[in-house]
Amino acid sequence: MGLFLFIFINLNSLLSAWDQRVQLVVYLNDGISADDRKRLDQLISRKIEVVSFEFISRKQAWAKFESSFSKESDLLEKLDFNPLPASYNLKIRSSTDRLAEIRQLSDILVSQAGVESVEYGEKWIGRFETFMIFMKVFLMALASLISLGAVLIISNTIKLSVFSRKDEIELMLLIGATPGSIKAPYLLEGMFQGLLGALVSISLVKLVQVYLKYQFQGSFETLIRGMEFQFLSQTYIVTIFITSIFIGLMGSYISLQQFLNSYYKK
Amino acid sequence: MIQLYNVFKSYQGNPALTDISFIVRRGGFVFVAGPSGAGKSTLLKILFRWESYDRGQVLVNGINVGKLKPNKLHLLRRHIGVVFQDYKLLAGKTIFENVAFAQEIVGTSKKAIRFQTWEALKNVGLSHKKDAYPLQLSGGEQQRVAIARALVNSPEILLADEPTGNLDPEISFEILKLFEQANRKGMTVIFATHNQDILHRGDHPTVSLKRGKVVDSRVLS
Ligand SMILES: Nc1ncnc2c1ncn2[C@@H]1O[C@H](COP(=O)(O)OP(=O)(O)OP(=O)(O)O)[C@@H](O)[C@H]1O
Ligand SMILES: [Mg+2]
Repeated sequence: MGLFLFIFINLNSLLSAWDQRVQLVVYLNDGISADDRKRLDQLISRKIEVVSFEFISRKQAWAKFESSFSKESDLLEKLDFNPLPASYNLKIRSSTDRLAEIRQLSDILVSQAGVESVEYGEKWIGRFETFMIFMKVFLMALASLISLGAVLIISNTIKLSVFSRKDEIELMLLIGATPGSIKAPYLLEGMFQGLLGALVSISLVKLVQVYLKYQFQGSFETLIRGMEFQFLSQTYIVTIFITSIFIGLMGSYISLQQFLNSYYKK
Repeated sequence: MIQLYNVFKSYQGNPALTDISFIVRRGGFVFVAGPSGAGKSTLLKILFRWESYDRGQVLVNGINVGKLKPNKLHLLRRHIGVVFQDYKLLAGKTIFENVAFAQEIVGTSKKAIRFQTWEALKNVGLSHKKDAYPLQLSGGEQQRVAIARALVNSPEILLADEPTGNLDPEISFEILKLFEQANRKGMTVIFATHNQDILHRGDHPTVSLKRGKVVDSRVLS
């Protein structure tokens, strides 16, 4: 269960890391006037869809290009002019119809003076969106499956502990104990087991995370950036605890109800 | 008050009780007699809704037993003390703990439990064995623990299913006296037995069953 939880959490954080990388690049004309740039700057900063943006001048673009192709510097040296345009990199907030939002934004931007072109990997984003939806459904299904499994496991454990004290419970029923006083200890036991499960899972996730961080920091960092930073947010942990306790409660409730009903002859 | 009107009960199609009707007044003492398999235990089990019945009406202290929902059963059962034919003592608890358990279940305070348990065990002459476990006692002693437990919550109604079981006559009469004593204090008692000596010795109205039918009934008024 802990392992599943681990996979679940990391897939989720990986997806949100990718999610943040969806961006729109606005290439500018080489000879853009200072006024046009100012206007563009204002326009972009007013758009609520844009989470953040960054201006990359021609020089910066060249420096970046150079550093990523330093091995082929022979070839580069032969170029004595800078062919790269200046650009804006916009990070777009995530929303349900982001693709439409991006299209709209790009239409506006491309018609501005001084803008040469706008790129946003239309196909890629479209595919990415479907993939995200698929992954989310997949994760939900996985989570429900795991929860169901946990309910079954806990209900079985409680069943065993109920059966081991069958005579006592029978006598309680015969003498006139209230249903609540019969059930309470077992419901508490179920909740405690849920709590224990959550505790073990979360510690396991933490442990693996720390291990990964120390062992593979360098090589993994680039590959799974975002995963590395994200352990579990506080709300996440609280949700896991509450869900687990609820699962424990459900599990014990089901088996208790079954057991007690067997004593009520129709 | 206990009222039965035309009660029928069968187990998987085999009739166990057929057309049973009788009334026991508050504070009454009634024997249920009949040979083995006549339906005595079944009749008692219906009164505290451990078994259901197929037809008829059963009223106990005004509660319609047949209409009782599972989560309301304790309201009926708290009126009733039962001496089970198989005692139902918990082997893992001492005699004292067994009797105390019945009081814990109904929420008696700790202090009252200690006092009442002691009194109940003294009443059946077993206070010196309070720390023994059920299996360390003789059959008659276990029987008396079961009686102490049934009486300890001072129920309005006492149902005793063969409380003299296979005990020798002397102890049987002592046990009968215990119930008559409780009855004099106002407890309604229904005493099931096939023991003829007991039936003759105690002069009480009797419902005689044979193969689930009332064959002779001196219960009235
Ligand atoms: N749980 C049960 N399932 C099926 N049949 C049962 C069940 N309990 C009792 N019976 C049957 O119902 C009939 C009456 O049984 P019951 O136990 O009421 O008799 P009894 O008068 O108490 O006998 P005894 O003196 O031996 O205790 C018997 O024929 C018995 O086999
Ligand atoms: Mg019987």
